[in-house]
Amino acid sequence: MLHIRCPYCQEMRSEEEFSNAGEAHIRRPPDPAALSDAEWGDYLHFRKNPRGPHREVWVHTAGCRRYFNVLRDTVSYEILDVYPAGVPDPDAPEETTP
Amino acid sequence: MTAQPRRLAEGGRIDRSRVLDFTFHGRAMQGYAGDTLASALLANGVDVVSRSFKYARPRGIVGHGPEEPNAILHLGNGAVSTPNLRATEVELFDGLEARSTGSGPQRLVGAFSRFLPAGFYYKTFMQPPWLWMTWERLLRRAAGFGEAPDGRDPDTYDKMNHHCDVLVVGAGPAGLAAALEAARAGARVLIADERPEFGGSLLARSLTVAGTSGADWVEETMAALSSCPDATLLPRATVSGYYDHNFFTILERRTDHLGDADAGGTRQRLHRVRARQSVLATGAIERPLVFANNDLPGVMLASAVSAYVNRYAVAPGDRLVLFTTNDGAYQTAMDWQRIGREVVAVVDARQHPEGALVQSAMEAGIDVIPGHGVIEALGRARVGSAVIAPLDDQGDTLASPSRRLECDLIAQSGGWSPTLHLSSQTGTRPRWSGAAAAFLPGALGERGLCAGAVTGKRSLRECIEEGASAGALAASRAGFGDGETTLATPDTGESPEASSRALYLVPHEKPVSRAPKQFVDLQTDVTAADIQLAAREGYTSVEHVKRYTALGFGTDQGKLGNVNGVAILADALGQEIDATGTTMFRPAYTPMTFGAAAGRDTGDMFDPERHTPMHAWHEAHGATWEDVGRWKRPRYYPQPGETMRQAVDRECLAVRDGVAIFDASTLGKIDIQGSDAAVFLDRVYTTGFRRLGVGRCRYGLMLHENGYIFDDGVTARMAENRYLLHTTTGNAEAVYAWLEFWRQTEWRELDVHLTSVTDHWATAAVVGPQSRDVLRKVCTDIDFDSDAFRFMDVREGHIAGIPARVFRISFSGELSFEVNVPANHGRHVWDALIEAGTEFDITPYGTEAMHVLRAEKGFIIVGQDTDGSVTPADVGMDWAVRRNKAYGFLGDRSLTLAHHLREDRFQLVGLATADPATVLPEGAQLVEEPGHRPPVAMEGHVTSSYYSARLSRSIALAMVKRGSKRTGQILYAPLADGRIISATIVSPVFYDPKGVRQNA
Amino acid sequence: MPEAPGVEYREIPGRGCLNLRGDADDPTLRDATATTLGTELPTEPCSWQSSGDTRACWLGPDEWLLIVPDGEQSRVEQQLREAVSGPLSVVDVSGGFVHANLGGDNAAKVLQKSSPYDFHPRNFPPGRCVQTVFAQAGALVVAIEDGSFVLIFRRSYADYLVHWIADAAEEYGYPMHRT
Repeated sequence: MLHIRCPYCQEMRSEEEFSNAGEAHIRRPPDPAALSDAEWGDYLHFRKNPRGPHREVWVHTAGCRRYFNVLRDTVSYEILDVYPAGVPDPDAPEETTP
Repeated sequence: MTAQPRRLAEGGRIDRSRVLDFTFHGRAMQGYAGDTLASALLANGVDVVSRSFKYARPRGIVGHGPEEPNAILHLGNGAVSTPNLRATEVELFDGLEARSTGSGPQRLVGAFSRFLPAGFYYKTFMQPPWLWMTWERLLRRAAGFGEAPDGRDPDTYDKMNHHCDVLVVGAGPAGLAAALEAARAGARVLIADERPEFGGSLLARSLTVAGTSGADWVEETMAALSSCPDATLLPRATVSGYYDHNFFTILERRTDHLGDADAGGTRQRLHRVRARQSVLATGAIERPLVFANNDLPGVMLASAVSAYVNRYAVAPGDRLVLFTTNDGAYQTAMDWQRIGREVVAVVDARQHPEGALVQSAMEAGIDVIPGHGVIEALGRARVGSAVIAPLDDQGDTLASPSRRLECDLIAQSGGWSPTLHLSSQTGTRPRWSGAAAAFLPGALGERGLCAGAVTGKRSLRECIEEGASAGALAASRAGFGDGETTLATPDTGESPEASSRALYLVPHEKPVSRAPKQFVDLQTDVTAADIQLAAREGYTSVEHVKRYTALGFGTDQGKLGNVNGVAILADALGQEIDATGTTMFRPAYTPMTFGAAAGRDTGDMFDPERHTPMHAWHEAHGATWEDVGRWKRPRYYPQPGETMRQAVDRECLAVRDGVAIFDASTLGKIDIQGSDAAVFLDRVYTTGFRRLGVGRCRYGLMLHENGYIFDDGVTARMAENRYLLHTTTGNAEAVYAWLEFWRQTEWRELDVHLTSVTDHWATAAVVGPQSRDVLRKVCTDIDFDSDAFRFMDVREGHIAGIPARVFRISFSGELSFEVNVPANHGRHVWDALIEAGTEFDITPYGTEAMHVLRAEKGFIIVGQDTDGSVTPADVGMDWAVRRNKAYGFLGDRSLTLAHHLREDRFQLVGLATADPATVLPEGAQLVEEPGHRPPVAMEGHVTSSYYSARLSRSIALAMVKRGSKRTGQILYAPLADGRIISATIVSPVFYDPKGVRQNA
Repeated sequence: MPEAPGVEYREIPGRGCLNLRGDADDPTLRDATATTLGTELPTEPCSWQSSGDTRACWLGPDEWLLIVPDGEQSRVEQQLREAVSGPLSVVDVSGGFVHANLGGDNAAKVLQKSSPYDFHPRNFPPGRCVQTVFAQAGALVVAIEDGSFVLIFRRSYADYLVHWIADAAEEYGYPMHRT
């Protein structure tokens, strides 16, 4: 039974108040029409599923109903970080301006 | 008065003024308040309490706590019975009825015992295969799995949540010291112990603390603890599970000890505890010694013998042989001598025992035989003598011939095994300590500590000290106090113990494979020979050996046998014990009832029912119910004598010919506001909403990104930047979560807000050619003329005096007005509509008629006609997909995947059976040729099927391969009962294809 | 044996409710709520502010539940719409909720049986409010001035939750007052 800090309610809450909403920081294709079927299929269906730290989206379903990001170790289940939705992926390489 | 032949004349923590009557296998017996069932059975001279699991050997009581492997009994009868209770943990109550678990015809198995080696399931019974079924039936009947209660449990159970700064598990000396330190530091403390009384070993041993008796120290400490605010003491409460992030479950037995099924109140309560810090002071369990026939009744743990003597005033025998590898167990011989019983000898495996307790025993005249072991117990249904022999230094052979000691009780101590089950449940692997000759708990990280005997501490003084330090440290980690202890170091008058001898398998004159059985795990009948055999057969992992031999597989999880088993395996593999390792332990620490796991979520509260504001009306008018999600929806309203078909036919015809009323309150409703509301809707629906006029409605399909239909419904534009979106009843929460996901995570730039108003609005659909006439009677401020109030318009006004929104939308294809009013006025408005409709014979109708009516029109129900693999084109709804939207919508790209453009996809069609009276079963598979033997190509399946009273024939919707191009073809539905129904593919719109009626 | 004085459950009729969304940093929103309701908008998570018969509960960083006397909803909605220039959503949700007071010495025990939230006064003193799991439904629990609690839950769950609360409170003794 995980104990998760909601970054909006700013409290530790029990797992049953939350729902997992999958992998965080998925890069959405800006122009889906430009993608081949295979590329679109990759985007739709393929996820990282790592062993170890994993960035996930959770939602405080029974609480403030806000989505936020969680860095969770999939082996130990320890929660290493929580931060609001909209914060850029801390692991992403820095964007270079064209 | 029934005699209690083995009860001592004085002493013990029992109340001799309260005599309790109980029966064991129907035999009347008596005990005292304060007894456990085990102590009372021993007091009554009961030697044999069960037959063993595999070999049906007679077994007696071995321990005095949760480790007991033999005295596993069935209490009570019928519905109020509980199987698989350990007699050592059952508090005696008046009227208790007990019997052995699985006292079936076990002689049979006994006779076959030589066919039951390790892995016998796999070896003996698998060949020939046809015989296995017979063997299995025989074995299952013979083996002692217990009986399930045969009725509904009349007791009540519940759950309670707790939060504490420090949870202390176990209220022995270490736990009590920890709890008091933490509570004094100001922490919220919860301390739980499985026993009815706090004190742990202190109540069972004759020790002193700071000059007072152990029991007095316990009382003083509990008084100090109770005076702390925010200290909660839970006796009779087993901490059974240790889960992620310091979450614990505790099973509290609240009325079991009262015995009376009518006592009232909650029988058991499952406490769900979130602890900032935990201190595991779970103690240790004495380790038995593995010698031949060590399962004979009268072979007991030394600590158990002391506990029965000191705590319960019961002498479980007359002449004692104590077999030990350590100093501590000598106290049992001293206790035995103190009550005037004969100590035949202390058999000490060590060549030169020399500790202070040994000296005291010898000074008291007790015969100590060093360098020997009990190699075999003799007797039929109880120990009659112990065979002893000198051991060599290595302990694996005998130095010279054996001799016999006449006795009726063998107390044994092979040292102590820390109770590390809870720490192991977290996934922390125990580590072997050669110094302690035991597995010790692994590190628990920043949230947990272990203290006392569980860390291998042996003396009372060390346990109290370590408990106090752990309590202070845990409190300071939780933010209370500086981590310094306040308790004075207690004087316990203990002398240091000399080192003990590690002995896991006592040698016999014969090799292990030939010697009488040397039991390692009494509950599952696993012997030393079984483990050696497993090793010889190539099993090298302790986890595999566990599963092959069933070592530690019983409900006791190997509390007694685990370490000996691991050591014997290590020896057989030629390894050190730490290389072999131990198996892990899972929750629950001891078995728990299903009742406690269910708590109050049973019966009416098993799954919540959601009710609309008109629920009581439906109930009063005889509605039968359909469960949709958690909602209770009226399915149809049978009149006296009506069948379901008659009622549904009547309701359908009322809609088509007159006026009818339907409770549509359960539809999901979401209020959408913001300057980007239209943009948002354009992205989530296949339809466009920006050019929808204020006061107009539009139907939309919602797709997942994979292009498959997820939901559908009508959305109305209420104002320039305000919409009301309807979802299907069952999908309301999923749709709301889906929309919020996109709004909050991906489209954060949009100015749009979503608010669920499902519960705010009550909805009554007034449907049928005469619906206008009914509404005009209860509403004066809305113009219901067909030019003023067109199909797909929404108007605001007052219905029966209540502010209302009226949507002219239709799921039946009839003229239809959906009246929405705030739910607290829902019943009032419903009643007013019914009253106004009386002159038109207004008919309430339920979901079944609704289904028929929409199927007549070919309207799909998402989740019934679609299954998560259906695109809009598949159901002929390309018309609802706008492909030239300025923004792509969710799922847009997937609609042009090659796979979705194939012509042989399954497509929605109508089916007309050859016999109009035959209604196809929903789910029926469709094939091209009748009478072919399987395998046969599946052409489709029926998704909806009803009898239509209006059309006087059956109608069905189906998903059929290339269906849209197969109109006129005949398909066949072969049914399980052998019938084959033929049906012609037709248009899915059976009635009023031009929509004249809804536009009337 | 029942422990006096137990638990008291009393439904509170006549409450109007509005769901408010907006930017907590928008001065026009803050001024408008102060003027319209007579109370500040709480910005501290899981807290409430009140004035007289009106209470504003924090539901999220940009979301509040405004509890007003029934009949006031359209006035409040209209005044807010006129005064707020930033992003705004106001929705009358009065019909959707049941309000009840849960009092008595063992009220917190009933909460403990129903929700995994920590209702200890150290964590949940008067002035706090929390949306959490309640039995198999959800509720907004408000710790009010007198040490009792206000429960606000969805109307469709009322029959279930009242049954649940009565059952949980039974061992403590519980007068039930439903409207």
